Amino acid sequence: MDIGTDTAKKRKRRCAVIIAVMAAVTVLIAFACLFAGSSNMTVKESLGALFGQGTAAGIRIIRNIRIPRVLAALIAGAGLSLSGLIMQTVLNNPMASPSTLGVSNAAVFGANLSIILFAGGFLSTGNNLQGYMAGANPFSTSLTAFVFSSLSVLLILGLSKLRSFRPGVVVLAGIGVGAVWTALTTLLQFYATDVGLSAAVIWTFGDLGRATYRTDAVMGAVVAAGLVFSLVCGWRLNAMSGGDETAKSLGVNVDRLRFIALLISSIMTAVCVSFLGIIGFVGIICPHIAKKLVGSDHRVSVPVSMLTGSMLLLLADTLSRSLGSGTALPVGAVTSLLGAPFFMFILLGRFGKEEYR
Amino acid sequence: MTLQIKDLVFSYRKGFFGVRKQPVLRGLDMELDAGEVGILLGINGTGKTTLLKTILGIEKPESGSVLIDGKDALKMKRTERARLASYVPQIIDFGELTVYDTVMTGRISHMGLAPGRSDREAVERIIHEMGLSGLSETSVERLSGGERQKVAIARALVQEPRILIFDEPTANLDISNEMLVAGEIRKAARDRGVAVLVSLHEINRAADIGDRFFFMKEGRIIAAGGREIITEEIIKEVYGVETDIFESDGRKIIMRKER
Repeated sequence: MDIGTDTAKKRKRRCAVIIAVMAAVTVLIAFACLFAGSSNMTVKESLGALFGQGTAAGIRIIRNIRIPRVLAALIAGAGLSLSGLIMQTVLNNPMASPSTLGVSNAAVFGANLSIILFAGGFLSTGNNLQGYMAGANPFSTSLTAFVFSSLSVLLILGLSKLRSFRPGVVVLAGIGVGAVWTALTTLLQFYATDVGLSAAVIWTFGDLGRATYRTDAVMGAVVAAGLVFSLVCGWRLNAMSGGDETAKSLGVNVDRLRFIALLISSIMTAVCVSFLGIIGFVGIICPHIAKKLVGSDHRVSVPVSMLTGSMLLLLADTLSRSLGSGTALPVGAVTSLLGAPFFMFILLGRFGKEEYR
Repeated sequence: MTLQIKDLVFSYRKGFFGVRKQPVLRGLDMELDAGEVGILLGINGTGKTTLLKTILGIEKPESGSVLIDGKDALKMKRTERARLASYVPQIIDFGELTVYDTVMTGRISHMGLAPGRSDREAVERIIHEMGLSGLSETSVERLSGGERQKVAIARALVQEPRILIFDEPTANLDISNEMLVAGEIRKAARDRGVAVLVSLHEINRAADIGDRFFFMKEGRIIAAGGREIITEEIIKEVYGVETDIFESDGRKIIMRKER
């Protein structure tokens, strides 16, 4: 009885090839990004510095600035995209994104609180090299942002528990709570000084330059946990795309799976956003690009989503560093400018799966 | 008895704190044996779907018992229940999975974290038996309504259940696909010895494919039995509609009096 096994093998091979090619391309892009930057080092200089040869400044630029930054792009891109994919699956909603539970709004409020109220705007936002290490405690803003986004997640999961996690309720609760954080942020900003306001606004722009090895390690650990979760629960996540009732009848503990999935994906987002600021678009669009390329089997769509996210963020960050002549443009804006046309191309083009037509 | 339900009571909770109750099932009894097709009949809102969901563990009843093969279905784990009772829902939405992967989700209650050899064999066997071999790598989205129903039935059968539950399986199908699904329902009962419970609106179709009939009214079964219990009187009582019943070749044909 080898019905369909041939085509099944072919499909498996095709998916393996897609993942391998994307992984290779991502690594290539990562190296290319290592060699691009405002200090005008040549590829040869950069490569030498990578292996500890060349000027001390060159080595420091590569090792202390560019490598953590490239790693941040790889990890945060993958994490935000995976977070979006999980949200879209467990909430059964293609519009869901990492920010669906109000995580980003809460993080923005937390950061604003820290910058405007506690640091008076003197805290470094790390957006340029000159002010890079000027901040009093580089983690205070991230920490406040993380505390508030976790608070927001727990609040929404608690509210949703009252109504046994119906997906629609979760999404609406997220919108409601998110609106409260935005309102509080507006109030804070209304009373802020000019300097405080501009520092707070610049924080929300999102900047991979804030990454260090330490922040990369924290983000990496959380994203790795998310990856393990989504691969282990791959079949159960697949079952959930058929709706709650069907999944329950198949033996999936839907409420528990949704709770854990929302918690993990929100924490992934919270960590990335707290360290780097708001990076929109990656989390909502990359999962769709991945699903259109390889379908919605989570064993494949999870790695492909993550790689898509990494690639987009890497390219966007490199572009943002190259275009701004000295200062980096807000990476969040560049991701959208870069990703949106590509997404529209896939949406309208012949790559589109039938569902979208 | 494969399915034994005793004194089942279910209410939906209403209001902000969920204190007020809206009773749906009010002490329902029912029995169904292996190899039988049981048909659930009654007007909309009488609790047919709720009853099916309670058997499947999707909804939790207030009191009463549901035994499947003598085991208490209300107290078992989800995976254990999924190996006893499976579901072919009214609305079938699989996302973008292939037929093979969709059927494989039926093995979740059998597999550990990933499908093993026995899971793959079971899936391939059922796909072959249901005549879906040529479609196994096709995305379910591209299938016709009848083919999708077949995939849903294959997924439910691969759970290797003792009871198979259908909620309005022919609601959105044309007459040829309706025939096809009716055939699969009968085959599941006859060839696999599974108890099949089906809720249906179309009473003539019900009379054709059912072995036992359960007339439901206001959250209770008010009449249960073989084809002989389908009478003008019971239809009048359950649906409030005057009918004439004709018999021909051992089939019952139910016609409304008014047009």
